[in-house]
Amino acid sequence: MTSPLLELSNVSLQFGGVTALSEVDLGVEEGELYSIIGPNGAGKTSLLNCISGRYFPTFGTISFDGRDITRLRTDKRAAIGIGRTFQNLALFGHMSVIDNILVGRHHLVRNNFLTGSLYWIGGAQKEELEQRREIEEIIDFLEIQHIRHATAGTLPYGLRKRVELARAVALKPKLLLLDEPMAGMNLEEKMDMARYIVDLNDEWGITIIMIEHDMAVVTDISSRITVLDFGKKIAEGVPEEVMAHPDVQRAYLGDDELEEA
Amino acid sequence: MTDTTAGRDRLDTFPKLLRHNAKAFASQVALREKDYGIWHPMTWAEFDQKVRTRALALRDLGIGRGDVVAIIGDNRPDWVISEIAVHAVGALSLGLYRDSLESEVAYLLTHSGTALVFAEDEEQVDKILNLGEAAANLKAIVYTDPRGMRKYDDPRLMKAEELDAAGARTARQRPSLYDEMIDSVSGEDVAVLCTTSGTTTHPKLVMLPAGRIIDHARKYLQFDPKGPDDQYVSVLPMPWIVEQVHVFGKALLCRMPVSFPEEPETLMADLREIGPTFLLMAPRVWEGIAADIRARMMDASWFKRRMFALALSINEKAAARNRRSWLADFLAFRALRDRLGFSRLRSAGTGGAALGPDTFRFFHALGVPLRQVYGQTELMGTYMLHRENDVDFDTVGVVIDPAIEVRIEAPDRQGVGEIVTRHPNRFAGYFKNEKSTAETMRDGWVHTGDAGYFDDKQHLVVIDRMADLAVMASGDRYSPQFLENKLKFSSYVAEAVTLGKGREYISALICIRYSIVSKWAERKQIPFTTYSDLSANPAVYRLIRDEVERINATLQPNQRIAKFVLLYKELDADDGELTRTRKVRRSVIEEKYGQIISAIYAGEPAIDIDTVITFQDGTNQRIRTRLKVETVETGMTGASGEQAA
Repeated sequence: MTSPLLELSNVSLQFGGVTALSEVDLGVEEGELYSIIGPNGAGKTSLLNCISGRYFPTFGTISFDGRDITRLRTDKRAAIGIGRTFQNLALFGHMSVIDNILVGRHHLVRNNFLTGSLYWIGGAQKEELEQRREIEEIIDFLEIQHIRHATAGTLPYGLRKRVELARAVALKPKLLLLDEPMAGMNLEEKMDMARYIVDLNDEWGITIIMIEHDMAVVTDISSRITVLDFGKKIAEGVPEEVMAHPDVQRAYLGDDELEEA
Repeated sequence: MTDTTAGRDRLDTFPKLLRHNAKAFASQVALREKDYGIWHPMTWAEFDQKVRTRALALRDLGIGRGDVVAIIGDNRPDWVISEIAVHAVGALSLGLYRDSLESEVAYLLTHSGTALVFAEDEEQVDKILNLGEAAANLKAIVYTDPRGMRKYDDPRLMKAEELDAAGARTARQRPSLYDEMIDSVSGEDVAVLCTTSGTTTHPKLVMLPAGRIIDHARKYLQFDPKGPDDQYVSVLPMPWIVEQVHVFGKALLCRMPVSFPEEPETLMADLREIGPTFLLMAPRVWEGIAADIRARMMDASWFKRRMFALALSINEKAAARNRRSWLADFLAFRALRDRLGFSRLRSAGTGGAALGPDTFRFFHALGVPLRQVYGQTELMGTYMLHRENDVDFDTVGVVIDPAIEVRIEAPDRQGVGEIVTRHPNRFAGYFKNEKSTAETMRDGWVHTGDAGYFDDKQHLVVIDRMADLAVMASGDRYSPQFLENKLKFSSYVAEAVTLGKGREYISALICIRYSIVSKWAERKQIPFTTYSDLSANPAVYRLIRDEVERINATLQPNQRIAKFVLLYKELDADDGELTRTRKVRRSVIEEKYGQIISAIYAGEPAIDIDTVITFQDGTNQRIRTRLKVETVETGMTGASGEQAA
């Protein structure tokens, strides 16, 4: 068997005396749609932050595509194909949707400040057109044509989430980390978002790790699920297995209720 | 027209016209589509080439004379190419509305015995695959957008690119085959099947020979000339006869380039980029734009609001003297037209339903030359139109061709009766339905089923469907649609259904226009959560009551609305409450809201509602609310007596 696309071994993260993650092992295969669930404060976002490089783990190693990335800088991780979205939106509110998405392609652009000033001679124009075309495919895919020139900050929440996803996809990631992509959405928006995520995984071949609280969506679209509780991995497997796991039920429902039931 | 009389006789089908244009005007732009954010033009030569390969591929699949090929999707060049290719092999094209329900698609495909479907994307393919065995004749389903299609393995599915590649091979092997094919098809052969709106029953399929569509379009162009310098944007649903006449008949004849919006949602931005000179949109869309302008004006700065109000009032004075004010234009309207993409608009039309005089006046004040069109699917769509200098907001104008005869059958004292028409380019009958054909067409006259009369200027005024004229318990007649339109002309009202047939008095079910009423509520600092909540608000009731009273003042006492209820949801075509062209299905409404209606006439002051709404995505929401029945003073004895009780 080949090694997984992303592998975390024995990862622990401590903030002073607080242990956010303890000895987490995780392996995500290429092409998976992998979900991380757990109660509030279980360490899900911390785990995602370790993968994206916002935090460096206190112990343990993380490898991606057969390469140790434990101490790799965030921007370098973007360059090797790890993209993410945030739980709380992190768009540039004053910029247009297109400009926001273009930011996602920053590391793929060859022209710089100097050659860009020679717009027609230095090939910057040609490159801009190429980049724009790539972005338009993402716009088409996520069905946000009608807002491409709108200012990101003025858009409703559901659409801003979609723009943020577009920006992460523009990175051309191999691995996409989604932190609560459906939080705060209504049912229709959730259904749309779930469809985009499945299509990105299925048709664009992007491996996805997703944190999500909506159990119906998670069990519906994930290939495998990991459950965290107090920084520890308590279960891993296909959705049906994980949902039936007694520790998972305990973590979600609490001991008392389980006994009563 | 550049063609000679001799040549013209031969150009009696769309493929022949297209071949002619491709030879004579090869490099001129025929179609334009926005894709990935960029407008892509297609010349007549490219257009013709695409039709050739697709037609040959259809022939290779065994599609030929008399077969029916259905097309479903958005308005796109690909639709136009497919449709002309279908005609090229002598088959019949059947356009389906993109938002048709599965059951509607099922009926039309089985009734017509469709052999092949062009379905744009997964959404449409889904509808057809779910038909299963019902579509026994169906040989292939051709799709253009591969997204989400990987999960299917139906052997009938085929990508449009594969189809075209096969056609290109045949074209290389037998270069003259296409020309032989289209020369063997005559203009008198039925080419287009158009669905009637089906307000009451299943839609009927109207058989239209291409030669008649072309001849009608030619006469239409003589009445209202268009040419290669015009820019037309295709907005109306493509299956509709009016759009068929424009995109196929007119555009092929006069060579006006046709542009297709990227998505329905991007329409306004696309209009601005194209700057059309000619535009046809449904009344709802015009009303939506007018409502949007008003809503935005409410949000605009104090200065802009004043300028807009000033321009409107200046222009009103000028309009009273039959002129337009350059000052008003300078102050606001020129900028506004530019915003809307109407700067170059020389001609605009609306049809299919009535448009409010207020909306008409509004657009005329803006400098948008909007005109009403009238006609039937059976009679090539539009055949009545306002002359450019003779626009009357209450009428549908005059016939576009003296050869078309219109008379009022069995008029009553006011001259109102059924509109019957003799049209040189009428339909060739209903598909597989000779009984209905005989009922509709008697001695060459098509009985439209519409009630109307001619006014002093010999303009036709259309009131309502004959069958929909209602008789009240007192024996008085009234037109529900006429009343409903009056209600809908209020910018606060989105939909209205009046009841009164066989009753003592008239009452109305009203749906508020959420975009406007919610703005209004915000300005009045009235808190609300959802549509249901807003519509139940007492202040909103008062607002609509004022509107109803204003309308009542213009009516005879026995024609006034005595009671109304604000519905907790908007009427929706997906719930079967409206047709696809957004006309009210009265019988469905009366059945579905029967409880409300009987409570109104039982004299109850309010109705408890406990119901479930199903959304487009299949989810349900339970609604529990108390609907107030608002009583309005009519000056008529019956209803006001009850009010006292």
